[in-house]
Amino acid sequence: MTLENHEAWPTMTTTVTDKIRDRIERIVTTPSIPAVFLPLVDLLSGPAEEANLDEVVRLVSYDNAIAAQCLRVASSPLFGMVKPPKSIAAAVMTLGLQRVETIVLTSCMGEAFSREKWGIDPVAFWRHSLGCAMVSRKFSEKLAGVDGERAYMAGLLHDLGFLASSMAFPEEFAVAVERACREQIPLHEAEQATMGFTHCETGRALAEKWHLAKDILDVIAHHHAPTQAGSAGSLVALVHLSDELCRVRGLDYGYYERHKVDLISDPAWSILLQDHRDLEGVDLARFTFELDESAAKVGEMVSAIFGPVAA
Amino acid sequence: MTSGNPSVLAKPAVIKAGESIDPVFRQIRDIVYKACGIFQLDEKLYLLVDGCGRRMKQLGLTNSRDYWNLLTAQSSRDAELRHLLNELTIGETSLFRSQPQIDALRKVILPEIAGEKIKQITKRLRIWSAGCSTGEESYTLAMNMLEETEGLLKGWTIEILATDLNDRSVETAKAGVYGDYALRSTTDYFKRKYFTPLDGKKLQVQPEVKKLITFSRLNLQDDSKMLFMKGMDLIFCCNVLIYFDGPSKSKVINHFFSNLNFGGYFFLGTSESLLKLNDQFHLVHFPGAMAYWKPSLKSGKL
Ligand SMILES: C[S@@+](CC[C@H](N)C(=O)[O-])C[C@H]1O[C@@H](n2cnc3c(N)ncnc32)[C@H](O)[C@@H]1O
Ligand SMILES: [Fe+2]
Ligand SMILES: [Fe+2]
Repeated sequence: MTLENHEAWPTMTTTVTDKIRDRIERIVTTPSIPAVFLPLVDLLSGPAEEANLDEVVRLVSYDNAIAAQCLRVASSPLFGMVKPPKSIAAAVMTLGLQRVETIVLTSCMGEAFSREKWGIDPVAFWRHSLGCAMVSRKFSEKLAGVDGERAYMAGLLHDLGFLASSMAFPEEFAVAVERACREQIPLHEAEQATMGFTHCETGRALAEKWHLAKDILDVIAHHHAPTQAGSAGSLVALVHLSDELCRVRGLDYGYYERHKVDLISDPAWSILLQDHRDLEGVDLARFTFELDESAAKVGEMVSAIFGPVAA
Repeated sequence: MTSGNPSVLAKPAVIKAGESIDPVFRQIRDIVYKACGIFQLDEKLYLLVDGCGRRMKQLGLTNSRDYWNLLTAQSSRDAELRHLLNELTIGETSLFRSQPQIDALRKVILPEIAGEKIKQITKRLRIWSAGCSTGEESYTLAMNMLEETEGLLKGWTIEILATDLNDRSVETAKAGVYGDYALRSTTDYFKRKYFTPLDGKKLQVQPEVKKLITFSRLNLQDDSKMLFMKGMDLIFCCNVLIYFDGPSKSKVINHFFSNLNFGGYFFLGTSESLLKLNDQFHLVHFPGAMAYWKPSLKSGKL
C-alpha cells in the first residue's frame, strides 16, 4: 500500500475532506512557524550525530517569539542553571540537544496556535504529547533497528490534530471534548460521534499543508487505526501502543476514560511483532513500572514549560 | 509479611550486623516455607526471628532449641505452627487502598461482566478477596458493590469470599471495627452510609455490608482447598504473593486461573506483577491500574 497522501483518505466523502482541507488552509499561524518548524523537525528527528547545534540555534533565533519562549523555559530551575542563559546559543549548549529539541518544538507549537483558542487543556496536552514521545522512545529501545529519535518525534507530534481542530473547528471540537469528558469515552470516539471525523483527519491536513515527512504524517493520520497505515506501519503501531499506555498511566488528556487496554491483543502489537520478534521478550508489567518513573520527569518538564516565568 | 509494618521494621533487634544467625531459625524458615510459601531471605530473616521471639516470650521460653522442639513435636506442632504463622503474617492494610482499582472495577469491568451475563436468568457476582488480612479490602469491595445495586447490579446476588491464613486476622475481620488509621482514605460519604460509630473513635461496619461477605481461614498453598474455589468473577490477591518465592507464586497463580470464570479478572497490589509467571492471563490496563484477564470464550483470544 503506497498510496499518495491525497489518495489515502479513507471512508471520508470528498465534501468532508474538502471542508477539512479548506478550514485548515485558513488557520492563521505565526507566519514564520512553518519556516522554522519544518527544518527543525527534519533536523532533530534524524540520527543524533547529524543534528547540528549551530543550525538549531540559527533556526530558533529566526523567530522572536519562539526564541523568547525557549529562553524562558531554559531558565526554569528544573535545568539547574545558575544564571538564566543570555542567548539561545548559551541555552542550547547548556541544555543539550535532547532537551532543546523538546523545548523548541513545544515552543513552536505553543507559539503557532494562540493559547486562548485551544480546545483542550494545554497542560494535559503537553503532558500527553511529551509522555507519548518519551514512551515511544523507550519502547523503541526494546526493539532492534527502530530509530529512537524518530519515534520520539512521532510521539510528540501524533496528536497535532487536536491543535488543528481547535483552530479550524473550534465550536465542533468543543462539543466533542465536552462529550468525551462527560461520558468518559476516548476523545477520538467522541469526535467521530459528534463531528463525523477526528483529529487524525485534521492533523493530517495540517501535516500535508506543512509538508511534514511521510512517516510522521502517517502517524498523525493513523495512530488510532494502525492497521490502515501503509508503509510506516511499524512506527504507527509503536506510537499507537505508546498512546494507549500513556492514557492509562497518568499521561492522559486530563479526564477519566472508561477504557481497557489489552496491548497483546491489539492489532498494532501483531503489526509490530511482524518486524520485531524481540517484542515477545518485552515484559509489559515491568515496562509499565519503568514508564511510571519517567512519567514523573515528564511532569517536571511540563511544569517547566508552563511554570512561572523565572526572573 | 511483616516487612510492610513499620513498627517491626523499626527494630531488627535480634540480629545485629555481623552476628551469625542461629541455624535453628533457618530450619524454622523451611518449615514456614513448606507451610505457606513465605520464604524469608537471609537479610529479612530477622522478621522471622522477631516473630519466634514474640512466641517464645508468650510461652515463657528462653532457649531457641526448646522452641524448635515445641514446633516439631507431634503433639504440639500443628497448633504452634498456626500461632507462629499468625505472628509472621500481620499485614499492613487499609480501606480504599487503591482507588484506581475500584474505578476500574466499577466503571469498566462491571459493565463488561454485566453485558456478558445479560442472558443469564440468575445473576450472580462472585468475588474472592484472597489474603484479606483484617478485612479492610473485603469491606471496601462490598461497599462499592452495594453502591451498584441500584444500577448495574440491580437484582444481582453478590457473594464475597474473604480468606486469609492468619486466623486471628480473620476474627478481627469478622468484627469489622476500624479506627482512624485504617479509615484514613475512606470518605465521609462511605463512613456515614455504611458504618456505625462505636464508643471511642472507632467505626463498625453495618450488617448490610457484612451480609455480603463470608470470612474463613484458607492457606493459598493448600492445593486441595484451592481446587474448591470455583466460579469466581474477580479475584483480589493484593500484597500477598510478594514474599512467596517463584514456584509457590506460580502454583497459586495457576490455581487462580482455573478458579476464575472466563472473562474474569485477577488483581494484584498496585506495585506487584506476575513477571511472566503465567502466559494464559492477559495483562490488561485500566487508568492507573493493571489486572490479569482470563479471556472470555467468545473473544477467541485464549
Ligand atoms: C499485606 S496483607 C494484604 C491485605 C490486603 N489484601 C491488602 O492488600 O490490603 C497480606 C496477607 O496475606 C496473608 N497470607 C500470607 N501468606 C498466605 C497464605 N499462604 N495463604 C493465605 N494468606 C496468606 C497474610 O496473612 C496477610 O494477612
Ligand atoms: Fe490521538
Ligand atoms: Fe494521543
